[in-house]
Amino acid sequence: MTKYLEYQLKEIKDTYLSYLGPPFNEKDFSPPRPNTTALSLPSAATRLELWRGLENRARLAQNQRAYSVLLAAVRELARSTLCPYLQTSLLHFCTGLDGLLGSISGLMTTLGYALPPPSAVSVGGSDGELQEPRRDGFWILRELQSWLWRSAKDFNRLKKRLRAH
Amino acid sequence: PRQGSIFYCSVISEAEQPAVIINALIFRLCPFLVGRIQYERMGSDVTMQCGSLDNDASVSWKVNGTDIKARHRLEGPRLLLTQVDLGHNGLYSCFQNPHGERRDTINLRIGTAPREPTVTCRSNTYPKGFYCSWHQQHSTYIPTEFEVDVHHNQRALEVQRDPVHKNRCHVRFPEVFSSFPYRVNVTAINDLGRASAAISFEESNIVKPDPPERVVATPIPNNVRRLEVTWNSPSTWPDVDNFPLKYFLRYRPLIRDQWQHVELSDSTSHTITDAYAGKEYIIQVAAKDTEIGTWSDWSVAVHATPWIEEPKQITSTTEADPVIGGLISLKPVPTAQTMALTITTHKIK
Repeated sequence: MTKYLEYQLKEIKDTYLSYLGPPFNEKDFSPPRPNTTALSLPSAATRLELWRGLENRARLAQNQRAYSVLLAAVRELARSTLCPYLQTSLLHFCTGLDGLLGSISGLMTTLGYALPPPSAVSVGGSDGELQEPRRDGFWILRELQSWLWRSAKDFNRLKKRLRAH
Repeated sequence: PRQGSIFYCSVISEAEQPAVIINALIFRLCPFLVGRIQYERMGSDVTMQCGSLDNDASVSWKVNGTDIKARHRLEGPRLLLTQVDLGHNGLYSCFQNPHGERRDTINLRIGTAPREPTVTCRSNTYPKGFYCSWHQQHSTYIPTEFEVDVHHNQRALEVQRDPVHKNRCHVRFPEVFSSFPYRVNVTAINDLGRASAAISFEESNIVKPDPPERVVATPIPNNVRRLEVTWNSPSTWPDVDNFPLKYFLRYRPLIRDQWQHVELSDSTSHTITDAYAGKEYIIQVAAKDTEIGTWSDWSVAVHATPWIEEPKQITSTTEADPVIGGLISLKPVPTAQTMALTITTHKIK
């Protein structure tokens, strides 16, 4: 699932970056990342030893939380996009993300892990709106890309650990 | 002790020292021996000063012990050369007239300022770290050093210079699955100037494993179209459990140009089932992280031929009857391998 979504995301990201225009669509361009009060995104980046040592429950919980936040973020991004084609693509992508989230939650339940209470997740400011849609959009998709890549490795590790038991 | 204009000098160094330090030491103690180094730009006009002599001093010059053949001009204690090139390199000594005491020695080295180096980075030890290499497109002809700095998410990372390769450095990844790019800046510095080049990349883009190791291809008994191939993940890849590799196998008979390909996930063996019987095959394997980066180079090629059936031996049977006065005749039998010996016995009448 993560592979499929990764592939889909790449297509959307390219379209989105062209839509944003320069300098976002320039190679190697990386705008400054907004601080967490302006845009709170779950970071896929982690210290190697921490990542290795994650217990199954914590590993799944981190993924579950990340995609909950990212799903809300992409929905918000879709809402604030003026281009209809892009909006449709983003919303379609959200369906896939929702499916992934459902699979993770389902797995957690099967393994007997409690799901976090469904809280109102918002990435933007107090009213949930993105403060700087262009820059924020860039980072939402960027972080999503990192998470899909990380999740593939997370699930592989989970598979090996669960098999061992 | 001095004998005429011949000076003796000996310098003994206790420990192993780099050449530059030894030269500096010798120069300080016996300046006329090694000479201070003067770096000058190719194509420029050069002035060499004889020690700290007055402007009205009269000196003569020699280069590497011989007269200066290149076009030059003398101005008191100064030697002037125009539009220098590598041919002007040498040890220039000046001697004060009229007695000819040597006053100074200058090691003239012609070169150029450095140009932007070319930098590339790669991680074959993911997720431990990456290394960067750089080189100059054009030689500067004079000693040139390099400074490297690496930044990630507005933090400077620690850079380890390679103990063997002068133009290589190693950096540990501070974290994995990062969304922030890395920025590597390399500055080339020599006596005539400096030049920098910087590259920017993401963690996922520079990952390229080393090729798989110990590729072994063996025929399978009683199978004329099969070959079993096994290999090991590259030894430089530190954690194949958590960061598994996928593999790409290619094979072809020696007599053909077209390769056949197989992609394999998380498995270090494969059985080829469609080999041409009796034909020698060439086989190679490449590796890649299952999510990110690029394929490794191809492994060393191995050759193997599928199992061939041994030709059957034809055995002959002979009767062990005693022959007394019988006729012995040799009859050639169709197989090329044996000649059957036929013994016909005749009863003696």
